[in-house]
Formats: sequence, structure tokens, C-alpha cells
Amino acid sequence: MGTLASAIGFGLVTASILALAAVGFSLQFAVTNVLNLAFAEVMGSAGYIALLSTHAVNNIWVAMVPAAVFGALLSYGVNRLIFVPMIKRGTKLFGMVIVTVGVGLIIENVILAVAGPNFSGYALPPVHTHHIGPFQLTAPQLIIMGLAVFAMISVHLLLRHTKVGFAMRAISVSATLAEHSGIDTRRIVDLTWLISGALGGVAGVALFINVGAFTSATANEFLVVIVAAAVLGGVGDAYGAMLGALVIGLTSEIEAAYFNPQYKEVVGFVVLVIVLLARPQGIIAQVAVQREIGR
Amino acid sequence: MAFLACALSGGLVISACASSASGGSGGTGGSGQGNTQPLTIAVFNPYSGANASYGPEGASGCFAASTAITATGGILGHKTFTCIAVDTKGDPVDAVPAARRMVAITTNLMGVLGPSSDEASATAPILNGAHVPMMADTGQVLYDHTNLAYFWRNTPSDDFYGYAMALYGHDAGYKNAALVFGNDISDQGTVPTLMKGFTKLGGHIAINEAIALDQPGYQSEVQRVIAAHPDVIFDEFDPQTAATFFGELQQAGASIPMISTGAQYTNWISAVSRAMGASNLAKIYHNVLGYSSAGGPAFNAYQSNLLASGANVPDAKQWVHDPFSQAAYDGVVEFALAMLASHSTSPAVWDSYVTKVSNPSAGAVIVNTFAEGKAALAAGKTIDYVGVTGQADYNSWHNSNGAFTVTGYAPVNGALPLIKVYSAAAAVKLEG
Amino acid sequence: MSAATQFYIISLLVFAAVDLLAAYGLNLQFGVAGLLSFAFILFQSAGAYAASVTSLGPDTANGGFQHYILGSTLPFPLPLVCAALAGALLALPIGLVTLRRLRSDYQAIALLVMSIIATDLVTNDQHLLNGAAGLSLIPAPLQNRLALTQVGYQWLFVLFCIVVTAACYLVMRRLTKAPLGRAMRAMRDNEQAALSLGKNVVWLRIITFAVGGAMAGLSGGLLVEFVGAWAPSGWLYPETFVLFTAIIIGGTGNDVGVLAGVLLVPVVIAEATQFLPSIGRPGLIAALQWILIGVLLIVFLWLRPQGIFPERKRRFPSAEELSRGVPRRRLSIGASAALNGRQGAPRG
Repeated sequence: MGTLASAIGFGLVTASILALAAVGFSLQFAVTNVLNLAFAEVMGSAGYIALLSTHAVNNIWVAMVPAAVFGALLSYGVNRLIFVPMIKRGTKLFGMVIVTVGVGLIIENVILAVAGPNFSGYALPPVHTHHIGPFQLTAPQLIIMGLAVFAMISVHLLLRHTKVGFAMRAISVSATLAEHSGIDTRRIVDLTWLISGALGGVAGVALFINVGAFTSATANEFLVVIVAAAVLGGVGDAYGAMLGALVIGLTSEIEAAYFNPQYKEVVGFVVLVIVLLARPQGIIAQVAVQREIGR
Repeated sequence: MAFLACALSGGLVISACASSASGGSGGTGGSGQGNTQPLTIAVFNPYSGANASYGPEGASGCFAASTAITATGGILGHKTFTCIAVDTKGDPVDAVPAARRMVAITTNLMGVLGPSSDEASATAPILNGAHVPMMADTGQVLYDHTNLAYFWRNTPSDDFYGYAMALYGHDAGYKNAALVFGNDISDQGTVPTLMKGFTKLGGHIAINEAIALDQPGYQSEVQRVIAAHPDVIFDEFDPQTAATFFGELQQAGASIPMISTGAQYTNWISAVSRAMGASNLAKIYHNVLGYSSAGGPAFNAYQSNLLASGANVPDAKQWVHDPFSQAAYDGVVEFALAMLASHSTSPAVWDSYVTKVSNPSAGAVIVNTFAEGKAALAAGKTIDYVGVTGQADYNSWHNSNGAFTVTGYAPVNGALPLIKVYSAAAAVKLEG
Repeated sequence: MSAATQFYIISLLVFAAVDLLAAYGLNLQFGVAGLLSFAFILFQSAGAYAASVTSLGPDTANGGFQHYILGSTLPFPLPLVCAALAGALLALPIGLVTLRRLRSDYQAIALLVMSIIATDLVTNDQHLLNGAAGLSLIPAPLQNRLALTQVGYQWLFVLFCIVVTAACYLVMRRLTKAPLGRAMRAMRDNEQAALSLGKNVVWLRIITFAVGGAMAGLSGGLLVEFVGAWAPSGWLYPETFVLFTAIIIGGTGNDVGVLAGVLLVPVVIAEATQFLPSIGRPGLIAALQWILIGVLLIVFLWLRPQGIFPERKRRFPSAEELSRGVPRRRLSIGASAALNGRQGAPRG
């Protein structure tokens, strides 16, 4: 029982990082319908920006702010400069995926060219473990979990209780209808990219804090799990992303605890493939259902 | 027709380059009469991909050696000695055209540092067939009994590391071991002999975990290790995995001594000490690695030449205590001394002289630097080069396993204090 | 020309032929039939492993340093046949996944994930295909039997690769010209219409995918017999994108376009950049190559999505035009139908 509790506790940490990323990814995917495989690279680049910022201000949590801002601006910029013109030219879904892959390759290799192949890390103060019930967690991990919960609640409130959120949900169902209803789709889409980029930036820094040492390739190793969490929970729902992240985080840790730790990563991927085969609209089937039918 | 076009385009590029190479000697190494172009050693290692640190590591040793050699006036009329980088991309398929290209277009290619375990199986035969001597940094067990005449290895192979770790684990009094290894190439070679050696010496394997590299978290794996109640952890993985794993082990409150080979990676210690705290790491850290000295005439020469390599080796200080960098330096020096001893820059001639200048022999003068060796050879003496990595002793398969050191970690000055030295014979004896 | 230079040119030619064969396979799957094969490198890899374990002999040889399944020594050309079969057999279940009415980008991500799962499984299991270290000492076919010099043998091998590629190309042309090919293009361009005409979409997809997979497998077999080794580091999922870039830039659905793309991307970009004077860190070149591929992808998709050589769209005159005496002729209207497909629309 102790092992299970520990596994659950650890699963929560991984899930929190996943959730931060997945909710940003999911939000953007729902509104724009672009499967952005460059998302993890945006996370990674924000993580490196945080590294640079720690030279100026020696606190990683403060450095998260410029990282989030960078993530937001990078996402917004890439959309405006590359994705939108492509879409206007008539590139459809799969073509856009290839474009995002291209963008991701460029970002990762620019980081590699600048930062070099060696491992980097944040200089963090020594950490103490807190025993909370059956769980053992450090202060940074607790903060990350707190951030994830805060982000979930904020995005949920945004989507349910604000005009902007309502507009986002409208666009995710039908852009033309939303446009005709007087919603400024362009502005809302821009805002979506900014928010998702900011969330990705925070998630990137959280990931790098947790792994301890990172290179330009680190963030991309996380990409598929993020997509898995987002799709599993049902794209477009903030709580869905968190649920997906929880499921993936927990199953990975439980698998590692009871079976063969080598296959930990594979578990998450197999979950994704099963979901895609059995129930592509995800566990929480809301927005995605309409899209399946409409297309 | 299409392939004619391709061959044509390929041929055009080649002929453009071949015309700038001297004579036709680029392919077979060896210089013709009157050719005084620089002699070249290629660092044939990954510069990109998962093991991108191998390339700069080898290059640092190469440039340290080339600085030393050029400073004495070069070899046999060739005033300068240079190093070039050839990126193998870290996989055997991409390494093949890289090897072919290198052999085809490099002027006065004397030898290579490499290949590494990522590409050796595909490229060692190519280089051997082209008569290019290689001082390989691969640890693959496959080469323990190789019959490739141009293959040389002055670092221990993976299975010897296993025996060395087992020896120290036993001598330090540990009885119950946890093995935590990543699932990459070199780790596959070390685990079998570690287990065999440790149990032979009376130890017990509590748990043997192979883990996937570069995961965001290893908490469950950490719990399994703790639950097995080991008194020592044997480990080997890359800096990122190590930082995550040991950070979480620390967090779980466990302070279990470790015997690692992690110091073979650049940044390993800095990454792990950042994750778990430098003083915590110092309490548990033991590292087994091929012998490298930290003082003495050979080391001093190596260090001063390394630091004098200027722009060729950025941030040279990081390589001063790196055993692979040192092994690369020794390898190039041995190649150069072999050329001098055989009075030829043709590898077909001097390849067999490598043992003559490096192995112990009766009446040989012991030299510790290239300059000393050059002078002694000029005076007609037989030499035995004992470099930074200690006395080499190449066996009939061109392997020199050398001694092993066990080091700790002192955060105060970042030094790696020496705990113990094991000879190669001790490991051979354990093998039985 | 010195032997070393010949060896280098030989390696370029073999790689070009192998890449071309693989690209034609991918073109079948993606360009002709519009299936989104993000796991394509797996088929080539399956072929390489199959050819290896059927020509290596038992794994106790050479001191037993590598562990793998099977381990027979089949005579040439059976290992290559096994390679093609392996590619086709692997394509079948993967093709079945794409039969689901899944939106195209979900298909893509599912296949991408399968590619990663395969890499993980092979890397982690030391006894399946020797894990991360991969297989080595794979013998070149018939080398002991033919009394040739090393150079002579390799030129013969080049010729063999070219012949095999040409033969597969002809098979592919027959397939795509035949009624089957027309049906495949119809399916890609307008699935509903094809369905209404009674074409068995499911069956077509399976065939296309399998043939493409077989070609990929065969290319892997040839490659591994030339290189002599095969490890997971050589078939990571980004390799699929290199081939995609090649056929997108060259022109999907067009045979000359595929050739142009293969010459441009894997051969010229990979090799020509190595001749540049080294500026900065040596690993910089590798990073710049990937950046160049990413930029080319985007630039081509922006400026010329149909590629350098667009697909020749076959347009047949209408009845009215026929009665006016308009001759039947082909029009070249470039359009990359697979990319500007029919499912959904992104929003900007």
C-alpha cells in the first residue's frame, strides 16, 4: 500500500507538469484546430530563457515570468508569421502538422546552435522533503502542483465565466458562425496563442526544474505525452487536460513501481494509441464530438 | 540516367576537392616525397545527437597533443600537426558516408581518434581496410579480441569496467548491491561482468534495474531501489538521467553509497550536485574510471599544452581531468612517436611501431612527453612512453586496459581525490 | 580515381538509390493514396532487421556479444525477400489503424507515437534485436563467393541497388497506371465519390500501404547489407521527416519530383554541407542542416506546395467538349491534393 501511495504521490508531480502543458496545448488546439507539434519546443525555449534570466535575478520562480512572456510572444509570433499565412493559402490539417514539425525542428536546432550540446541546469537552493500523509514532496514540487491547480482553475473560469472564454468556445465549435455572430475571431485567436504559449512557458520551466539537467532535446521528449494527455482528456476542456495528465502520470508511475521501469514511457504512448482507436473524442466528450461529426 | 546525374554531381564535387588535396595520397595516408603539408588526425566521433559531447572531448586531447608536437618542430619534415572534426552523427548508418568521405578527401590523414561505440561496428572495418590507424574510444566487448590490425584502444572496455566496479565494491565491504543502469550501448557491456564479478567475490545482487533514459521522473524506480535495502548502488547513466534519479533518491531521504562510472561524462558531477546538493553527493560518491593521473611530468605537459590550445579548445579547463581527453592525447602522442620511430609517415609502416614505443620493454628509456620521446629517438634509444593515463601495455589484440582509479568528490575545490588504484591484472584475475 | 574516392562515390550512390526506393514507397503511401505515414521509418527498419537476422547466423557466433531472435543464414537473395515481406507485414496492422475514420492529424500523431513505441521496445529488450547496441557484422551478400576486389564488389553492389530500385519503380508505375492506381487517386481526392462508385476503399488502402511498406523494407535490407550494422539511433522518428521533406519539395505524386527531392534533401543537403569550411563548433553543421530542412519545408509549403515537379493532374474532357472535338489530352494542373485534403480546416 505504501508503494501505491508513493506511486500516486509521484504521479501527481509528473501529472502537474503534464497538466500545465496539456491545458495550454488543449486550449490552443480546440480554438485553432492546429495540432501544434512545436509546442514542446516553445516550452523548451522558454526554459532556456528562464536560465538566462537567472543570471539577472537569482530566483527561478521570478525567472518564470520572462519565460512565460517569451513563450506567449513566440507562440503568437509563429502563428501570425507562419501558421496564419499557411492557412490562408489553403493548407489543411495534415499540411499544418508538417509545418509545425518544421517550426519545431528550427526552434530546437537554433537552441542547439546557440547553447551547444552540453547539459545545463538551474542553480537551485538545496531542498528539503516534506512528508504530507503518505507522500514525500519537496517545496518546488509543491509549488509546481500549486501552479498547475491555479492554472486549471483560471482556465476553467476563463472558459466558463468570461466573454473571451465564451468566444473561444464558440470559435472552437464553428469559426464561421462565431465570425457572423460578431466575434472578433482574429483577436480571440491571438489571445489563445498568447495564453497557451504562456502556459507552455511555465510548464517548460517546471519540467526543467524537475529533471535537473537539460539540453535542447529534453523538451521534445515530452511532446507525445502532452498530446496524449490532451487527447485523452478531450481536447478543449481544461479539466479534461488535467484528467488526462493524471491518468497518464499515474499509470506511468504505477507501471514503474510494479512492473518494468524501462517501459514507463511506453505506457503513456500505448494509452494514447488506445484512446485514438477507441474514443478519439477523449474521456470528457464535449467539444471534440461536434468536430468529429461536422467534418 | 538519373543516377548518372547523381554520379556526375557527386563526381564533380569530389574532383573539385581532390584537386585541392595533394597528390593522391589523401586516401591512404602517408606522404609522398617533398610533401610538407600538415599531418592530420581526425576526431571521428559524434558531434551531434545523444552523445554530442564525445567529439569535443576527443578534440581537446587531440589539440593538446598537436600543440605539443608542433611546438617541437613537427615530424619528419612536416612542421605542423593538426586536428579536424568529422561528425559521425552518432549512428552507424550516417557514419559510413562520413568515414568514406573523410578517407577520400583528407590530406595526410595519419589516423583517427575514434570510432565510438555508436558507430564502431560499421566503420572500424572501413577504416581498417583503408589502413587508417584508429585510437578508438568505444568500449564494446566485441573488440576485446579483434583482429583489425589498425584498431587500437587505450581505454578499458566495458566488461573490464564491470570487474573493476565489482572489485571495489567488494573491497569497500559492501555485500548487498543494487544495480541501476540506463539502457544504452555501453551499459549493456558493463552489467554482465559486474554481476558475475560481484557474486564471485561473495556479494549479493539485491535488485538489477534497467531504466529508460531521460525521463521526467524516476520516483517509482527510486522506491524500488530503497525497498531492496542495498548497501551500495552501482550505476551508469548520462548526466540528465543521473540528475533526475539521484535528486529524487536524495529527496526520498536515502543516502546510499554509489559506485558509478558517471565521471566519464562531461558535466555529470555538476549536473548531479546541482540536483542533490554538492555535499550530499560528496558523502556517497565513488567513481571508477580508467587510470588518469593528476600530477607528474606527463600530466603537467598535458595540462599546459591543453590550456595553450587557445581557440581550438574553448573552455579548456573542463577537460583537464577528463580521462577520455587524456587518453586521446596519449593516443596521438603514441601515433606520432611511432612515426618517428619508423622514420615514416605511411601508416602501413608505422602502425606496428605503436607497441614498440608504448609497451614496457627491457632497456627502454621511459619518456613522459612527446618532446622527450622525440629527443630520445633521435639519440637512437628505444623508448617507452608513459603518458597521462599511465603505462600502456597493448596486448596482441591492440587493447591496453590499463589501470583503474577509484575517486571521490570534494566540493570545496571540485577535485576528485584518489581513493584506490587497481591494476588491469586484478581485473583479469577476477575474470578467471 | 583513387580507391578511396571511388568508395565515397559508391556510398553516395548506394544511399541515393536506397533513399529513392524508400521515397517511392512513401510516395505510394502518402502522395498517391493520401495516407499519412508518420511511422514510415519503421518499415525500412523492419526490413533491415529482417535481412540481418536471416543472414547473420546464430547469435552465439563471435563470442556471443549480441543477442537476437532467429539467426538463420539464408542464401542470397532470400534475406532481401524477407526484408520486403517484413515491411509489408508490419504495414498491415499499421494500415488497419488508419482505416478508422480518424481525422488526418490524429492519424499522424497515432503513427508518430507508434514509431516512438517501437524504438522504445527494441531499445529496452536486449534479447530481441540486441537493444540499443543494435546488430553488427551483417555480411554483404555473396561477397565470399565472388572473386572480386573490394572496389569491384562494391560497384557491383551499386549496380544491384540501381537495378532493384528500377525494378520496383516499374512495378510501382504499373500499379499506379492500372485501374488500381486510378482508383487510389480517386480515393485520395474524393473519398465520398470513390465510395459511391463502389470502389473498395478499405482493400485499396491495405494494398497501397503494404506495397509501400514492402518497398521501404527492401530499401532497409539493401542499406543494412551495405552498412553492415543497424542500431536504434539510426532510425529515430525524425528520419521519416527527412523523407517527407524530400518528396514534398520534389513534388508528391510525381515520380521525377520524388527523384529530385531525394537528390536534393538527403544527398545534397547532407553531403554538400560537409564540404563547407567549418565555422564555429563542429556540431553546428548538424544543427544547421536540420534548420535548413525545417526552413525548406515551410518555404516550399508556402510558396510551392505542389513541389518542384507538380503532379500531373489528369483531366478528361467533358462530353460536351468531346462533341466539340476537343482532343483528349493531359493537363498539368499542379495541386498537392494530399496536403490540401478534405478533412477539416485550421483556423487562423
